[in-house]
Amino acid sequence: MADTPQPELVTITLNGVDTEVRKGQLLIDAAEQAGTYIPRFCYQNRLKPVGLCRMCLVEVEGPRGTALVPSCTQPCTEGLVVDSENAVVHKAQEGVLEFLLLNHPLDCPVCDKGGECPLQDHTVAYGPGESRFVEEKRHYEKPIEISDLVLLDRERCILCARCTRFCDEISGDSLIEFVDRGNGTQILTFFDEPFASYFSGNTVQICPVGALTAKPYRFRARPWDLEAIESISMVDSVGSKVSVQTSQNQVLRINGVDSDTTNHGWLSDKDRFTLQAIHSEDRLRVPLVRKDGELVEASWGEALELVAERLGSVRGDEVAGLGAARSTNEEAYTFAKFLRSVVVTPHMDAQLDDALSDEFLAATLNRAEINDLETAGTILVWAGDLKEELPVLYLRVRRAATILGATLIVIHPRRTGLSDVADHVFTYRPGEGADTLRRLKAGDGPFAEARQALDSGPVMTIVGRTGGAEDPRLAESVAAFARTLPDAAIMPLARRANVYGALDMGVSADLLPGRVSVRDTEGRTALEDAWGPLPEGRGKHATEILQGLKSGDLKALITLGADPVGNHPQPALAGEAVESAEFVVSLDTLLNATSARADVVLPVAGFGESEGTATNLEGRVQKLNRIIPPPGQARTTWSVLDDLARRMGATLGAHDAETIMKEIASIAPAYAGIDWALLDWGEGRDGVVLPGPDGTQPLQHMPVETSVTATTGRFTLHLGRVLYDNADVVRNSPSLDVLVQPASAAFHPRDLAVLAVQPGDSVRLAGDYGTVELAVRADESLAEGTVYVQANMDNSRALGASLIVQVDAVRGEGS
Amino acid sequence: MSFMDTIGLGGFKGFAVTFRQIFTKKVTRKYPDEKRQKPQRFHGRHVLNRYEDGMEKCIGCELCAGVCPARCIYVRGADNPPENPVSPGERFGFVYEINMLRCIFCGLCVEACPTTAITMTQLFEMSVTDRQDAIYTKNELLVEPDGTPNHSQPAGPLIDLNELKLSDGWMRATSPAGRAAYEGIPHWPGSAGAGVRPPERGQRSDGGEV
Ligand code: SF4
Ligand code: SF4
Ligand code: SF4
Ligand code: FES
Repeated sequence: MADTPQPELVTITLNGVDTEVRKGQLLIDAAEQAGTYIPRFCYQNRLKPVGLCRMCLVEVEGPRGTALVPSCTQPCTEGLVVDSENAVVHKAQEGVLEFLLLNHPLDCPVCDKGGECPLQDHTVAYGPGESRFVEEKRHYEKPIEISDLVLLDRERCILCARCTRFCDEISGDSLIEFVDRGNGTQILTFFDEPFASYFSGNTVQICPVGALTAKPYRFRARPWDLEAIESISMVDSVGSKVSVQTSQNQVLRINGVDSDTTNHGWLSDKDRFTLQAIHSEDRLRVPLVRKDGELVEASWGEALELVAERLGSVRGDEVAGLGAARSTNEEAYTFAKFLRSVVVTPHMDAQLDDALSDEFLAATLNRAEINDLETAGTILVWAGDLKEELPVLYLRVRRAATILGATLIVIHPRRTGLSDVADHVFTYRPGEGADTLRRLKAGDGPFAEARQALDSGPVMTIVGRTGGAEDPRLAESVAAFARTLPDAAIMPLARRANVYGALDMGVSADLLPGRVSVRDTEGRTALEDAWGPLPEGRGKHATEILQGLKSGDLKALITLGADPVGNHPQPALAGEAVESAEFVVSLDTLLNATSARADVVLPVAGFGESEGTATNLEGRVQKLNRIIPPPGQARTTWSVLDDLARRMGATLGAHDAETIMKEIASIAPAYAGIDWALLDWGEGRDGVVLPGPDGTQPLQHMPVETSVTATTGRFTLHLGRVLYDNADVVRNSPSLDVLVQPASAAFHPRDLAVLAVQPGDSVRLAGDYGTVELAVRADESLAEGTVYVQANMDNSRALGASLIVQVDAVRGEGS
Repeated sequence: MSFMDTIGLGGFKGFAVTFRQIFTKKVTRKYPDEKRQKPQRFHGRHVLNRYEDGMEKCIGCELCAGVCPARCIYVRGADNPPENPVSPGERFGFVYEINMLRCIFCGLCVEACPTTAITMTQLFEMSVTDRQDAIYTKNELLVEPDGTPNHSQPAGPLIDLNELKLSDGWMRATSPAGRAAYEGIPHWPGSAGAGVRPPERGQRSDGGEV
């Protein structure tokens, strides 16, 4: 991480006391740091100050006597004399509040904000106490739906422009704006265009009044009902800090918590509203055992006995484990230890071969932190569409490009959420990435300027798999190039919440806990001292596991929060593998395509229900907290595995999650020194970034000549992710499920002409792994010869992820 | 030893109180045959009122639950169905429960209610044989659209349901800032059954100075 230069200090006089503050810091912040809170409505520390509401007026001495100035736009200079508490200031505050309340409705009892409302609080603390206004107030139609998630009550709006500024400055979805003038000024959406932003929930959170309310939370509770606990969002791997708020053991609201290192307080609507899935009616509550082809309820004893017996009846290396990418580190560690030391198998994978290689993700050299974006001169994003995959990271990159002025280069098979703010945008046909990389390296033709920008560091590179069908080795080749750039920092991307942690815990065919390679004999011996004898050699990866199950080499499968049938790039293979496996046991929170076919399903605790740590995409370990009990008889994953181990005649020694962390810290070299107390109370409140690896990294380079040549009807597939897909957590969150759009097949308009189809017609896509029929759409940003299909949709899943697909128009009777 | 020696003069002094009381007026009542007139602001069982048009007054704001020192009220709000609203406005009291075993009949809930939805009545005979029955739900608390109160037990010698109609409707009638001119303005919207309540001592129905 780049070191921050020492800030220049100046002395200001605040309410008669001399205070040292940073030069140029806004007075409102400086005063707050010095312990004097100045009331405010429009100022929000992550947005540019506008000085709209005038609530923050203070008296400042100037050359021509004292004057009232808004402290949110006043930078601190040497010798500034400020009074924030005298009678003049109080009179001004009373006046501002009286004006604000002229038209403000008396809605507090039915207003979601009531009880945590700055307008209420400021009125009590600084207001006139009595209204002189007896006339009728201004009226608007009560809440109007400005999107499927957000309602707007214009009567309550105090026109602070926080919401519009968030959309303009931070998210870039400028979908709401002030309209009209004077007394009629109001916030509105544009004609026919809803406020359909992935980040709309943030405006609800920062609105200082109850003008914007979120449908999923509306009227569910009042602030004083809520219990809150800080935790980490487990929706994606950014590790956004959240406050989980519950009442009566129901999670009712998730708000962002401002963390300098990760999310700056922002969340995506997926982070915010998938809480509905926690209390889904379909949550697994009791163990299920298959009897006569049906999954029926069973007792824990019966289910665990059966699992222990079946796993004990096959050879250890005939068993494989998949998953743990959405579990805590403690759970993942127990999973790895259970598989390696109790079952004694080397076959396990936290991923489903749909992102990057384990070794690359776990041990990238020059590993970047998110905050490297703040100092980066040039940012190269060659990964999936960040807005769709990791929305909060998208916000941080967007901030670097728009507010901090970094040069942004985006390379992706089509236009992405970042294209608008990028300085250089390149699109290419999937499969031709190596060629694109070669040209970028050489600064060939259109790449010349971008190549030049890459010479002015620090250069931050975000690499990932742009789509499901792309060769994962491309990202490693990009990383190898990126490492040659000045002050290089590299962030390898994977999406699942704790996939980095699961790999660090050794849920991998190639890695032992603590990023130790299975080939590292020294590390291996050290682990054997703690765990006992380990299985020999390198294990099988997800695809190999599925092939092994299908061919009969492997007999049993344990999944932990994973759904190979629904998510593996070769859906047919995954289906057959699970069918032909002799025994499948799933530990999960919801029944998915895989667990629905399992022989035993064990219900486990999910988000908010178990305590532990998670490691995000920069290698930052943060603490997840528990606030509600798991539903029904569901238990924490580690205790289920511990129980199972005992029934198999072994012991894992997992008595509580905190002890497991202690064991991890003593075994996994990278996690030495990490314990819960440090993360809960100590310096690790914003997480602890694990030390990066040193030495060399084995990279698999992509051979340059894999570019494909187009033959008639043969297209390369770009299988890109969208935020709202048919994932189980979205399906179980009714507010988000309605936003899911079915998948379609997008082509460049010229390809549409060649295929002789119109948008809306159907085409059949046939790949190596399956065939689907989809409606056609035009997308000019695609390279010719490419078809873009949204991944993980019910109507596109069967296609799988093959790079080349055969496209044929489907002619109905009418055409 | 004679009897007089045993009890002594002190004995007579002691009995003097007893003898004196024999001739004063009796204060015991033949409850429940004979009931006392209760003060107007008696703190008895709660009712949930309706407006004169039958709409529920409760908006589910939970202020009563928030203020209750015994933590015995459980309220949850919900969106008013627009076609068939339960209460005026956006939100209505979807769940309303009071645990009468815990209630200390302090009346703070009545004072906190911004719509005079919850008021206290004169009925206090609420003995139950099952703890569960002591939790009054919206079914029992809410009056019928015409103002007829509901009760979980049938009327009988102990329970005079008419007492449930005598709800006092007293609420905060001072300005939050304590300005004297506001003292005595009752904000009492009419209730089904009861209509607009007459002003109490120190209050004027037109809101002017007394
Ligand atoms: S925004 Fe605040 S002041 Fe306005 S009605 Fe809601 S709670 Fe009351
Ligand atoms: S809706 Fe809220 S955030 Fe937006 S301008 Fe109005 S008060 Fe401010
Ligand atoms: S009378 Fe007092 S104790 Fe009883 S419900 Fe009301 S606030 Fe609670
Ligand atoms: S906070 Fe300074 S003007 Fe609004």
